[in-house]
Amino acid sequence: MQFFAFHLMPWDRLPDDFEQRYETAWTWIPNSLYEPGHGGTLYNRYLDELVLADRLGFDGVCVNEHHQSAYGLMPSPNLMAAILARQTQNVKIAVVGNALPLYNPPTRVAEEYAMIDTISGGRLIAGLVVGGGPEYYSFTMNPTWARSMFREALDLILRAWTEPGPFEHYGEHWKLKYVNPWPRPIQQPHPPVWIPGAGSKETIEFVAQRRFAYMGIPYFHIDFFKKNFDAFREACERNGYTASPSQLGWLVPIYVAETDEQAWAEYEPHLWYFTRKLLKGLVVLPPGYTSARSAATIHRALGKFLSSAQTRQDIEEGAYAIVGSPQTVRDRLTELAKWLGVGNLLGLFQLATLPADLTRKNMTLFAREVMPQVRASLAESGL
Amino acid sequence: MQEIPRQTEFVEVRGRKVQWTRGGSGPDLIYLHSAGGETEWTSFHNRLAQHFTLHIPAHPGFALSTGLETIRDIQDMAWHYVDLFEQMGWCEVPVVGFSLGGWIALEMAILRPHLIARALLVAPAGVRVPEWPYAELFIDNLDALRRLLFYDPEHPAIPQALPTSLDDPRMLNWLRAREATARVGWNPYLHNPKLPDHLDRIRCPIRILWGREDRLIPPAYAQWLAERLPAAEAVQFESCGHMLPFEQEEAFCQQVTQFCR
Repeated sequence: MQFFAFHLMPWDRLPDDFEQRYETAWTWIPNSLYEPGHGGTLYNRYLDELVLADRLGFDGVCVNEHHQSAYGLMPSPNLMAAILARQTQNVKIAVVGNALPLYNPPTRVAEEYAMIDTISGGRLIAGLVVGGGPEYYSFTMNPTWARSMFREALDLILRAWTEPGPFEHYGEHWKLKYVNPWPRPIQQPHPPVWIPGAGSKETIEFVAQRRFAYMGIPYFHIDFFKKNFDAFREACERNGYTASPSQLGWLVPIYVAETDEQAWAEYEPHLWYFTRKLLKGLVVLPPGYTSARSAATIHRALGKFLSSAQTRQDIEEGAYAIVGSPQTVRDRLTELAKWLGVGNLLGLFQLATLPADLTRKNMTLFAREVMPQVRASLAESGL
Repeated sequence: MQEIPRQTEFVEVRGRKVQWTRGGSGPDLIYLHSAGGETEWTSFHNRLAQHFTLHIPAHPGFALSTGLETIRDIQDMAWHYVDLFEQMGWCEVPVVGFSLGGWIALEMAILRPHLIARALLVAPAGVRVPEWPYAELFIDNLDALRRLLFYDPEHPAIPQALPTSLDDPRMLNWLRAREATARVGWNPYLHNPKLPDHLDRIRCPIRILWGREDRLIPPAYAQWLAERLPAAEAVQFESCGHMLPFEQEEAFCQQVTQFCR
């Protein structure tokens, strides 16, 4: 099992009555709510938390891309990854990922990822993503081209990394006479590729077929992860091989404190800020972004989603977050990771308004009293 | 009102399968549907079919029509209709276009003026004036959508026009309709920046109908278009939103029969 610390870099100063006054924390949330000075404090604090993950012995850190949102302040995850490439020593740096249709031309992603991989000494994990539904509103990008732009961009990036340049690319969406990126990545033939998915059959089949790694989009009920991971393993079998656990990633909020009661007492207000404010407006399926059939499936799955959880019992039942004493978190993670058959745990250790001191305590307790034990017991199960 | 028999079949146009519903008798009338994809036989269709042979083709990507993969923008859509009209032998025919369908009719009339004898356009999309922005059509919330599109959010015709919940069996078609609309109307948003330069090429008689309470496309566009089209007039309807054919069925059909016969 590989342990990653995932950071969303959220905005922590939304008004108390935000959910009554605003429709969404995305796309249309007025940026007058953003305070530049405080933003500077947050970025530096959040980067320090990811640097701490390196010192604590995590296997990796994760950043991701969102635009025009209080949920995450990382329109450019590559800037964060570039800083981390210099400020960390050992962790893998997973950018999960760059939303390929938003890069024009997408060879920019090949270039910037190669820079991060090179500066970090080959520690990049290259997340290649379609981008969330809200990004298509924020950038007025036509979502009916999302899938075909993503596929074309992905092939172009891999080709740019592996085929000697210059070469021509004449695709549906981009026409490039000279593709010849400098630098090329350190990792050969190219950095590992992670692709997130929310259960769409097209994505599962594609990732399986190309032998990339599939990261389950978070905040769904644990049964939904299981169903999708099983579908992924079946898709790999159909494509003539058995999936490795390292091809699957489970992203989940985690909070560890001295006792179960203390953990819940410390964590709950921040968890509800997250579910009631920051998640508001996250799930948007713009037209054509996914096939009509997949959209219908996702709409159904949304009946069981973190934002519908109202109580501690709801959270625990759906495993929307793993919260408790080191013993509780160890047991629950071990049990669920085995059941899911995943080889990558992407923990969100900072969530919403969770302050710096509690975040650092959470990460430190996790690294000392959960990670080694879970790692050891999962190793026995081949995970 | 007499229930008019109708039939649905498929015609092949340049490799695209087109769902084509027709019913009624009398002169041909081509109905170009809106983004809502009203290709099922609804009560205003039935009313029109008392006076016309009504033809309802489904645009590519709507209902069971295929071929959206080769529709890249509104011009591709307009050329598709040029091909369909020529193949069906529809020449100098009257056309009714509602919203997206009205936009298609305008684009088509520029490409092949002789195909359309006269056009009745209901709240057509297609042009943008900075002072009168369109509202956001691509929202998931069906209640909000109902309030956006109808003046009376409890109007009895609403279930004919929109799925009522996510479990509605029409949801798949609805999602496909949204996708096909977004293909031509996401960016630029429901308009073609070049269209105003060409409006003077459309010489056929045009009547533009608009609900005064249209919250999706402001009714100010009615007069704006009428002033720029060589032979157009605008009529506005009180207490009516964007969904005029549903919301004021009788008045709408009266306009069509009077103008298109």
